[in-house]
Amino acid sequence: MKVIKITALWCSGCLIMNNVWNEVLKRKDIETISLDYDMDEELVKEYNPGKILPVFIFMNNNKEIRRVIGEKSVEEMLNIINEVGEEDD
Amino acid sequence: MIYLDYSATTPVNDEVLDTFCKVSRNFVGNPNSLHKLGVEAKELIDASTRQIEDILKLHDKEVIYTSGASEANNTAIMGVVKKYPNRGHHIITTRLEHSSIIAPISALQNEGYEVSFVDLDENGLVTIENLKKLIRDDTVLVSIGCVNSELGIIQDIDRLGKFLKKYPKLIFHSDITQAIGKIKLNLDNVDLASFSAQKFYGLKGVGCLIKNKNIKIEPLIYGGKSTTVYRSGTPAVALIASLAKALRLVYEDFDNRYNYVKNLNSYLREELSKIDGVHINSSLESSPYILNISIKNIKSEVMLHALESEDIYISTQTACSKGGSSIGVFEITKNEDYALHSLRISLSYLTTKEELNVFLKVFKEKMRKLDLFNESN
Repeated sequence: MKVIKITALWCSGCLIMNNVWNEVLKRKDIETISLDYDMDEELVKEYNPGKILPVFIFMNNNKEIRRVIGEKSVEEMLNIINEVGEEDD
Repeated sequence: MIYLDYSATTPVNDEVLDTFCKVSRNFVGNPNSLHKLGVEAKELIDASTRQIEDILKLHDKEVIYTSGASEANNTAIMGVVKKYPNRGHHIITTRLEHSSIIAPISALQNEGYEVSFVDLDENGLVTIENLKKLIRDDTVLVSIGCVNSELGIIQDIDRLGKFLKKYPKLIFHSDITQAIGKIKLNLDNVDLASFSAQKFYGLKGVGCLIKNKNIKIEPLIYGGKSTTVYRSGTPAVALIASLAKALRLVYEDFDNRYNYVKNLNSYLREELSKIDGVHINSSLESSPYILNISIKNIKSEVMLHALESEDIYISTQTACSKGGSSIGVFEITKNEDYALHSLRISLSYLTTKEELNVFLKVFKEKMRKLDLFNESN
């Protein structure tokens, strides 16, 4: 499983979620591809992120299995990861 | 045309434009040149700076000219943290700041700085109590804007600045872009303040960072002394003179204009409140120049374009950010629907009641039509 993380520098929610995700990564080993909404515009378009940032897209074998939009707590993200892991099994 | 987007930018005042043209034609010298033409240009800049200092009642402060508020904000934030790396790596700000505050702070977060957002009270205000909780020994910068651009929330930067004086290692910056020329300001207790001329009928491409003389900052643009050592480049004489002129004009008749706009705001607020599906997000204590609303079931962009088709111009959220949801509105209302469907109507002393009446009439028609369209789909 890997995660595509789409954030923007001007987005305060993204700033908060960068901290949250860094905490998550201390507890879970997840490959993360970080994309900047503005700088990586072409790549970001492929994921159709919509209008609310940040966006975390959980992928397995290059297939989207879950999308998380907006701000979540560390615990919420960990729960989502567990759920996604179980679904994936 | 009915323009109700004055917080995004303002039309340039004719007198300001005349000043720009006259200075551009008549002051050809580089202010850094030693010859007569250079000296004349430098004297004009010095006179403009004194005028700005007088109008804003600045004491022991320097005026750093920039290309606008975004550069001034970046210069303040980057300038402080790069100058004082040994003081700490912690920054405090709010969720209500403009993207030109959040973006450099995010860039610093990527470099390892820690960022804290102050909790706001139910009116969107920073309280001393909430601020105090976050201050640490390694806090180097607090950046809190004076007037929020989306909702018009006014922070008491004088009071916050007085409180922050208890922490002499910490520097207090305020973005005063939406405040200048619109509300009364006292910058005595603010270490750094930024603004641009285009928000008060000046030209685009010029702004200022006001800095306490006893604070040093690292420049963003290196290249030797310009009007100050903090921002290099040949001084834009005509833009600087035009900024001083715009500032002088906007503070003329200040009280009458303020009261006039306040009355317009009250009228608009009252009329919009009568419309089903409209929620007013701006509080009564907000800047009268900004009225933020949310509309039920209709996407704000759809309403914006529907009004545009009738030559009426408002905005969805701050023109400098992207994405469809308003962080400011969500912070205050805690309602995602309101945050996704918010509109900002921003007023000026140039706005007339007749314009507002036309806007209200068209707005009501569009609400009805768009709502019916939504129901039938």
